[in-house]
Amino acid sequence: MKRSTGLLVASVLGLSATACGSGEPAEPTAGGAAKVSITVACQPAKSAPKERQAWDDDVAAFMKAHPNVTVKSTDQQPCFDPKTFGPKLAGGQMETVFVVPVTNYDDVIAQGQAMDITQLTSEIKNWNDLRQDVRDLVTKDGKAYGVPNVHYGVGLVYNRKLFTEAGLDPNTPPTTWAEVREAAKKIAALGPGYVGYGEYSGGNTGGWHFTQALYGRGGSILTEDNKKAAFNSPEGKAVLQTLHDMRWIDNSMGSKLLVDWESLMVAMGSGKTGMMLGAPDVVTDVVGKFKGNVADYGITGFPEAKASLSGGEAYMINPKATPEEAKAGMQWIDFRFNTVGKGRFDYARGKANGNPVGVPDNAVYGDSPTGQAIQADRVKNASLPVENYDPYVKASATIPPKAEPLHAQEIYAILDVAMSGVLSDKDADIDKLLADAETKVNAVLAAKG
Amino acid sequence: MISVGARATAGRRRPARRRKPIQTGQFRTIISPLQLNSPWGRRIYWSVLVTVVVTFTLAFVFPLYWMITGAMKTGEEIAQMPPTLFPAAPTLDAYAEAWSLFDLGTLLGNTAYYSLGGWVFCMLVDVSAAYALSKLRPMFGNVILGAMLATLMIPAMVVLIPLYVTVVDLGLLNNPWGLWFPAAANGFNIFLLKRFFDSIPRELIEAAQIDGAGPTRVLWSVILPISRPILGVVSIFTIVTSFKDFTWPLLVMTDSDKMTLSVGLSQTAGMVSQNAIMGGLVVASIPTIIVFFVFQRHIMAGLTAGSIKG
Amino acid sequence: MAVLRRNLTAYGFLCAALFCFAVFAWYPMIREFILSFQETNLIDPPTWVGLDNFEYAVGYPGFTEAWIATLQFTFLALVCGFVVPFVVALVLNELRHARAYLRFVVYLPVMLPPIVAVLLFRWFFDPGPGLFNQILGFVNLPALAWLDSPATALISLVIVSTWMNMGSATLIYLAALQNIPPELYEAAELDGAGVFKRIRHVTIPQTRLILLLMLMLQIVATMQVFIEPYMLTGGGPAGSTVTVAYMMFQFAFTNQNYGVAGALGMMLMIVLLVFAAFQLRLTREDKA
Repeated sequence: MKRSTGLLVASVLGLSATACGSGEPAEPTAGGAAKVSITVACQPAKSAPKERQAWDDDVAAFMKAHPNVTVKSTDQQPCFDPKTFGPKLAGGQMETVFVVPVTNYDDVIAQGQAMDITQLTSEIKNWNDLRQDVRDLVTKDGKAYGVPNVHYGVGLVYNRKLFTEAGLDPNTPPTTWAEVREAAKKIAALGPGYVGYGEYSGGNTGGWHFTQALYGRGGSILTEDNKKAAFNSPEGKAVLQTLHDMRWIDNSMGSKLLVDWESLMVAMGSGKTGMMLGAPDVVTDVVGKFKGNVADYGITGFPEAKASLSGGEAYMINPKATPEEAKAGMQWIDFRFNTVGKGRFDYARGKANGNPVGVPDNAVYGDSPTGQAIQADRVKNASLPVENYDPYVKASATIPPKAEPLHAQEIYAILDVAMSGVLSDKDADIDKLLADAETKVNAVLAAKG
Repeated sequence: MISVGARATAGRRRPARRRKPIQTGQFRTIISPLQLNSPWGRRIYWSVLVTVVVTFTLAFVFPLYWMITGAMKTGEEIAQMPPTLFPAAPTLDAYAEAWSLFDLGTLLGNTAYYSLGGWVFCMLVDVSAAYALSKLRPMFGNVILGAMLATLMIPAMVVLIPLYVTVVDLGLLNNPWGLWFPAAANGFNIFLLKRFFDSIPRELIEAAQIDGAGPTRVLWSVILPISRPILGVVSIFTIVTSFKDFTWPLLVMTDSDKMTLSVGLSQTAGMVSQNAIMGGLVVASIPTIIVFFVFQRHIMAGLTAGSIKG
Repeated sequence: MAVLRRNLTAYGFLCAALFCFAVFAWYPMIREFILSFQETNLIDPPTWVGLDNFEYAVGYPGFTEAWIATLQFTFLALVCGFVVPFVVALVLNELRHARAYLRFVVYLPVMLPPIVAVLLFRWFFDPGPGLFNQILGFVNLPALAWLDSPATALISLVIVSTWMNMGSATLIYLAALQNIPPELYEAAELDGAGVFKRIRHVTIPQTRLILLLMLMLQIVATMQVFIEPYMLTGGGPAGSTVTVAYMMFQFAFTNQNYGVAGALGMMLMIVLLVFAAFQLRLTREDKA
């Protein structure tokens, strides 16, 4: 009997020991040619088999070009999850190469969760063609912490088919908020279930879109020195007042609160929602993931915009990676994400796979030679009606980008309350909502020091 | 509880005539049989019975009906106002869609593996611990039992974060042991098992010992066969609890290949159309409902034993 | 020697459980305590910060609201989840037909994974084609906003919670009711007590212990409410459904602020332990 009990204990302890061991980085193989093994995040999900195949092909091609590197992919969805980010890093589960959205740059860099890659930027051949203002977002104290991967400004995504049905001209989309209101009213009048204008109000997306609208009107979330809240202003009030009036006076926003990112995308994809604030990636997602009909969606410039909230993501390197791993990781980023005509910029393959090619969904390279080469390639292989996105491209050229506020996620959570307050309560006191949010944000800023 | 089931069956016999008195069985409750069988009593009784049966059916069965038929409607029909009571053209397309979009095969496989693996491990650990505490009575046994029961006082949400931090430290994320170890530390199971083992007469064990059986043999050939009822109850509750669990696997099993059914459904539900969500929910409900159909009596009997846990 | 041998054997059987408890139950309890006095993001070595985490949590915007929302939820959940099952059990106990069916049906939702109930009700609560507003429309009542209005969001969560949990309470009460000796009712009847007096003077005193126990257990369970706000409202609208447990989760996993989450957890635990101590006293008095 002693043997069996002993066995059980041994196996229990043994298992926990192996489990502990698995968290540690792989040992370097003995021998001259340094073999490196890296893990990379963001492999497309199984539900997108063609894109997954394209990714796997790229991995194979990369490994062929770099015989000493072994690449393993992970496909966690979404590939950046703030909930598991810190723990994965602490538990040794973080990939060598991972993606971070622009909202989390500051926190990730400040908490030492990304490697300083200043010395490695030469691995990215087109590094200097990346937009300076976009590179600045991942730079702190002169050190670079990431490779910007996607960048875009906010516009107004609209459903051209609904515009036509509502007697509006899809080729002259609204350029002022007054026109947005009018258009929304007409679309909502198409019948029950039709929504003129969709807006978020929960899961931090409400605060995020409040910021988009506020920046557009020329407002700011924080003061210049990041010490105080600055959104309790005429601009902030105008944002909420417009939403309130559209929801409760015009009745053009539907009656359902949209509390997470997917909910508005589903509404947009269903073809019964007229307009929303969003970047071109909205079109890609609505078409690719939410069954929207490609030809229906257009995007135009942000109405009356004075500035536009920057959106996007960057690839960063695990701070626990060895120099060899970091270098191999950077080579992967260069190969897959920053080479004209290769990897994600292989538009010919994208078109053959039925991807929505042609959306101007990325401005990391701006107007640089690389950017122009990518754009030419994209237009050549376009599978979408590129002219539907022209108004956006023209308008964004003149709107200055503006970065996310510090501690974006916490502030967005607070602003969610104001957004859902206006959209869920006819008698909402806008001044009070803003004043409350201001107090809370000031308290958070004070506590953060 | 089991005898109650028998009574209920007896009571279910329909009165052949309306005049026949309402069977009260051998037990009486607040209302006396006399009152119950008075003309007014009968009228009230029957109307209350009908109301209760109809209300319960609407409250507890109709939502499930709505879920099952919702998944048989097309995307347009499910969003239609007013809704249709029966699907116009029932189809299983949404089930197929749900199966592939949610990757239900993988999720079901994972969940079954975690539940059954967790069950085996949990039973090994808890049965041997309860046996040691009940029959081998080591020094400090009562202290250990007390410390084990004390964990029941700590609210689950409160230990969630330190437990998570511990599991992170041990590198058990995305590892089934991250679910199994904490599940085996179940003071309530040990308490139930120990209480049952305590009631097994000493003579049985002593007889076996005289025949030369060691402690393991005693456990295997004497204790376990007698303890089938309690083992059954503990097993069912362990499996069902781990199948239903949401918050802990949400934190521990984050890889899309390793997620449990509940977590997978919650992560993907936003991306999927309403009828396919319903399809996914139906599939997720089937295993536990089957368990309930098969083990109904055990579960209901165990519930009163489990009442202390709530 | 025999004693030593017996102890060795016993601890041999115990050691697996001791390992599980030590690492995954006892240590986390201590860790919780330590965590609440530390600042840690799980990557850098933790630093001791004294009572800072508690101060931060108490001063954090929405702290008071979260406690109020939690207490409101607990109160509403008790009205629905404690009173309703008892009344239902009382009625069920009087019925002589369809008992097996009714018991089966009331327990059915308890067997479903909570995520199923929650996602199902999310659809029912939909202000447009959702089942509830369609039923209200059918009987000519005005539609409600359910989850989408600060006025009704919390009660909507209570409805889901009650639906999926009331089965076990009902069956436990039913079992308790069946243990009441019939002579007591007969005696009460002879004394001329009517139905309500019988309930007051026989049924309730006889089930007092289990009622108290269940009351406390439900308080402890409902004060930890998490899945419902997490899945259904995300704490909204206008922060009306941010519960303490939800706030704790947000601190830990959205803000990576494990120390403050630990401090909130400590506060929640203290409140719950006070309830538990209160319960112990009541049950002791009862036995005496």
